[in-house]
Amino acid sequence: MKKLLAVLLAAMMLMSIVPAVAEIDTSEHVKIVYLVTGDKPTNRTDEVLAKINELLTEKINAELEFRWIEWTDWQTQYNLALATQSGDIDLIGTATDWLDAWPNSQKGAFLALSEDMLKTYAPKTWETVSEAHWNLCKYNGEIYLMPEDNYAQWTNHGFMYRGDWARAAGLENGVHSWADLAVYFQYVKDNMPDVIPWDANGNGSSYSPQMAGGWQTSHTGNIAIEGFPVSIFYGESKDNPYTLSRYYVEGDELVNFAKEMKRWADAGFWRADVLNYTGDVAGEMEEGKTAAHQHHTQTWTGERTTMERKQPGSDLGFFYFGEETGNLISLNITHGAMAVAAQSKHPERALMVYDLMRNDPEIYHLMQYGFEGEMYTVEDGKFSRPEGFEDSKDGVSFNFWWGRNDDLEYKNAQLDWDAIDALYAEYDKVKIDYPYGQYIYDNSTVGVFMDNLSNVYNTYMPRIVFGMNDDPEALVKEFRQALQDAGIEMVMSEIQSQLDAVYKK
Amino acid sequence: MTKAPGKVNTYRPSVGHTIWQNRTLILMCLPAIAFFFVFAYMPMPGAYIAFTNFQYNKGIFASPFVGLKNFQFLFISGQLGLLLKNTVLYNIAFIVLGNVVQLAFAILLNEVTHKAYKKSAQSIMFLPYFISDVLVSLLVYNLLNYDFGFISHLVRSLGGEMPKVYQNANAWPFIIVAVNLWKSTGYGTVVYFAAITGMDSSMMEAAQIDGANAWQRIRYITLPTLKPTVIILFLFAIGGILKGNFGLFYNLVGNNSMLFKTTDIIETYVYRSMMNSFNFSQSSAVGLFQSVVGFFIVLGANAFVKHLDPDYALF
Repeated sequence: MKKLLAVLLAAMMLMSIVPAVAEIDTSEHVKIVYLVTGDKPTNRTDEVLAKINELLTEKINAELEFRWIEWTDWQTQYNLALATQSGDIDLIGTATDWLDAWPNSQKGAFLALSEDMLKTYAPKTWETVSEAHWNLCKYNGEIYLMPEDNYAQWTNHGFMYRGDWARAAGLENGVHSWADLAVYFQYVKDNMPDVIPWDANGNGSSYSPQMAGGWQTSHTGNIAIEGFPVSIFYGESKDNPYTLSRYYVEGDELVNFAKEMKRWADAGFWRADVLNYTGDVAGEMEEGKTAAHQHHTQTWTGERTTMERKQPGSDLGFFYFGEETGNLISLNITHGAMAVAAQSKHPERALMVYDLMRNDPEIYHLMQYGFEGEMYTVEDGKFSRPEGFEDSKDGVSFNFWWGRNDDLEYKNAQLDWDAIDALYAEYDKVKIDYPYGQYIYDNSTVGVFMDNLSNVYNTYMPRIVFGMNDDPEALVKEFRQALQDAGIEMVMSEIQSQLDAVYKK
Repeated sequence: MTKAPGKVNTYRPSVGHTIWQNRTLILMCLPAIAFFFVFAYMPMPGAYIAFTNFQYNKGIFASPFVGLKNFQFLFISGQLGLLLKNTVLYNIAFIVLGNVVQLAFAILLNEVTHKAYKKSAQSIMFLPYFISDVLVSLLVYNLLNYDFGFISHLVRSLGGEMPKVYQNANAWPFIIVAVNLWKSTGYGTVVYFAAITGMDSSMMEAAQIDGANAWQRIRYITLPTLKPTVIILFLFAIGGILKGNFGLFYNLVGNNSMLFKTTDIIETYVYRSMMNSFNFSQSSAVGLFQSVVGFFIVLGANAFVKHLDPDYALF
């Protein structure tokens, strides 16, 4: 009896899968438009796309077309494309931390994906993403995002520095703290008249959250909460993550930061007019004109190899923010995710295309590496490019950051995996999971105040970060007063109650 | 209908007849009419977005109505006074100085008789108008920055000490006005120059025969003839008195908050507040506010001009 029941059950389960697949009507040939950030490639992407479209036509009678959001003014262009969609886009590459995935879900830019839809049209993706991970993609109980949750990468920020110069500065083991960094910069300043220790391009405010947050991570246990238009909302610590930190409204650590940065500015670690300078810091570092570059781990993995080629022996190291205190958070799985456009005319086929992009080995490898043999070779699970290969001319760029898959991924044989794995191993020792995956900030009650806080932050923080002031202590005091005037206490108590509603049940 | 004898002819042609009679003129206006219809009148109902909580999937008109909530933001910021002051003062400086300089250059150009010189001077003056604000900001930075700037080098090589311009808010009204003049003078001059060229030359000749010198000709003939042009341009410009030139200010100043006291205008403030939140409704509310105020200022200015001399009013 039991056996019979088992067979029956198995048969039913099979039945429920088979007809679902058979029912899909793909008689009409459709074009799926894929919205992606990046400059329109000048390499062999179109050739590869043509091949992929052959495969897609054969498998599901669809083809893929790019719609690029070029890096110039990308935030505005991206949000504008979402706001003005009229069925002209189908798949949207997005992210909860750097591409406003939640605000856009709230504003109705994305289609809610039902479980049935996912099971039917993106079965492989549905299977491989765990229930816990799907739960992190829900807003108001509906799934809006398909997360890139099977791809190991680190985008925590810090400073790249030259190992050879650090050793010359007496830092035998390299730079591992803000204090080391100051020693390193001072050495460069004193001994290399043609090198600016860190030639920061402070025009634009992108350094503010990285630098201020970096110091904070290195000197407290605070954990950044993503998804706010202004980066001043942190959880207290990993033991007490759901209480908001009062770092920006009171306490000495922000004052210490302001004082130290003022000292760095006076010491000439960056140019006096840093706030209006727009230069290419990485390029300058590769030419040996600056000694550091502030960005994240993933950038460092590639930059280390580039630097070794352009500045042999430079031994580019990475000091990560939080290293002193072991305060390190794993990447949220929605740092990259794919969404379906709310106005898409072919959401089913869009899901089918995504399922293949993410899970079909042939399509995946074409998309990520190009034509095998001609554009790359694989050995021991690592890929190499042929001699003289230039990515901007010979490569392929799908900018597919919304569903990379470690099951299909090859490591780049040209990268320095000994150094990278060593750093990753260190990360693995201290990292904790992102604690706020379930929390989505609701802007409806305090949005107006948030915009004013955003303005206060963008007004004061660049001056604190780059020491552009006569009295750092007074400036911090002024900044805090401005935050109070803009309603920080009210906003914080609103966020606290939103957090409580999710985590203190 | 009989005409009363001795009365002025009050015959008015029908609309159709008027159109037919002026068909060529109307045809010539058509592109301009189409332009304003498509880009200024058709989008107008969209201003409704300023009163909604805009939802992408619902569209502008189906999004929930929220009344004046989107206008709150500017008023609770506590910055409105400073922003208004900066925006209006800069615009007054641009309008007054701009027109005076353009007028002066147009008259000077008109006095120049060497044709090749006149043409090339005009072209060179016109050029900056086409340089994008991004490039202008780079030029200014490379002239004025403290560490490596051209002027800083010059000053230092002469034994002087260069002030840190990018940390001194008081220097910027002068720099911004100067840059704006440099950019717009050539363009504006052309308008005045065209008006001068269109003047009745017999008046000039008569004045010359009567013994008027160059200065007198300018004072008593050129300037009075240009008065309507000046007033019209002034009325056009004043409608935008609450609107700042975002490109110019943002590129020159960027996020350098040390300079905000004297350089922050409504546009840059709105940008800084909303660059991370992409609130289309709220930014439209600010734009609508500026336009409505501008509209009433134009009405007021026009009424004032009409009061002084009805011939010069726009409508």
